Amino acid sequence: MSDWILGSKSGEFAIKRYTIIRNVILVWMTLVLLGAFLLDIPRIVILEHTARNLYFHVPMWFTMMAAGIVSAYHSVRVLASGDPVRDVRASEAARLAIFFGILGLLTGMMWARFTWYLGTGLWWNFDPKQSMAAVQVLIYGGYFVLRSTIDDPRKRSRIAAVYNLFAFATLPFLLYVLPRQMESLHPGAEGNPAFSEITHPIMRVVFYPAVIGFIGLFWILYTQRVRERLLRKKLEYQPEM
Amino acid sequence: MNWLTGAWAIFLKDLRLELRSRYALNMLLMFVLTSLLLILYAVAQETISERVQAALLWVVILFSAAIGLGRVFIGEEERGTVLLLQLNATGSMVFAGKLLFNFLLVVGMNLVAAGAFLVLLDMPVVLPGLLVVTMLLGGIGLSGATTFLAAVIARTSNHGPLLPVLLFPVLIPLLLSVISATHTAMVGNGWAEARSELLTLVGFAGVVITAAVLLFDYVWKD
Repeated sequence: MSDWILGSKSGEFAIKRYTIIRNVILVWMTLVLLGAFLLDIPRIVILEHTARNLYFHVPMWFTMMAAGIVSAYHSVRVLASGDPVRDVRASEAARLAIFFGILGLLTGMMWARFTWYLGTGLWWNFDPKQSMAAVQVLIYGGYFVLRSTIDDPRKRSRIAAVYNLFAFATLPFLLYVLPRQMESLHPGAEGNPAFSEITHPIMRVVFYPAVIGFIGLFWILYTQRVRERLLRKKLEYQPEM
Repeated sequence: MNWLTGAWAIFLKDLRLELRSRYALNMLLMFVLTSLLLILYAVAQETISERVQAALLWVVILFSAAIGLGRVFIGEEERGTVLLLQLNATGSMVFAGKLLFNFLLVVGMNLVAAGAFLVLLDMPVVLPGLLVVTMLLGGIGLSGATTFLAAVIARTSNHGPLLPVLLFPVLIPLLLSVISATHTAMVGNGWAEARSELLTLVGFAGVVITAAVLLFDYVWKD
């Protein structure tokens, strides 16, 4: 049971390494935030300062995808090994995928409302990428509803992993189907200039580090949540701790 | 036991049980008809566009499937026959048999729903062949996902309303494609317009059934 905590194989060194990586990410994110708000960017009509949302909105999608992949990976490992730690990892990654998915949706809705759809008052526009993210949030919502209906932990971990992988397998179809059904104003969509053509170099200086920073932030939240869950489990078995 | 005979035996067993009780059949029939009447009364004399007609038709079909097809595995749990099936057949045989049975129900339900829509809503159909192909291909994907998730919810303690919650997000690619293809069948100029939708439906059915077969043993065995 004690192996659950931090993988006791390398003990002290692992904790030190974890702390170093965490601190690097925190400093990195601070620099990203300073750059995001302080660096001068070219002003474009309508877009103006909202262009800074690029540093937050887009990395959140990347992070949601990364969280979804982590969750699916650990679901495969649940089925292969039945290891309860894998189940904790899969479910916490899914929880964070919902978290970053909702943040991405909110930042996107705000941004679109005051730039693309200025004057229409529309908040929801059936953009393919928006719809895709909404479906993914729904899938992980279903995943947690499913988890809550099974009491036996072994069965819960297995059945939840199965649903996670099954739903994950259908996601690529959305990438193919949605753009055919709805119009997109996102860069890179059919007829729109690609991201690299319209993004000023100064913005890329912040954007790429922001992607790494947000994925790093996901990693901190994820590992902390997993550690907390594992400690709670350990307390159940060793209340004297 | 030969794999084909096994799957066929399970299909026949389910068919026989169904013909004895007619639970799913009556349920599907009544659900399709009542929800259709609901739509008719709700839109009153208003003429609705072809796109909305196609959307309503498939929403009715999806809800009926989520309600009527979820029973296949819950029934085994309730009768206590799961262990017997596990002893006598492999997981993929059980899945194939149940899938075939559900596919038959979906085809029947599609016939009733489409027939009723054609008559009562005066749905125009230019390409009847395309409509039939769409219903069949959509039916394979729909029954594949529903059968698999029915096995998943049979493992939970409170399985009533869970199936739609798990099913609908997974079925959104299918829903969009069938509605679009149905719309083409109603007002389109030729099969070529629905090519990408039909390809999507074939791909979707393939992926759903492959994933279901690969994952089924983890659901089926304790």
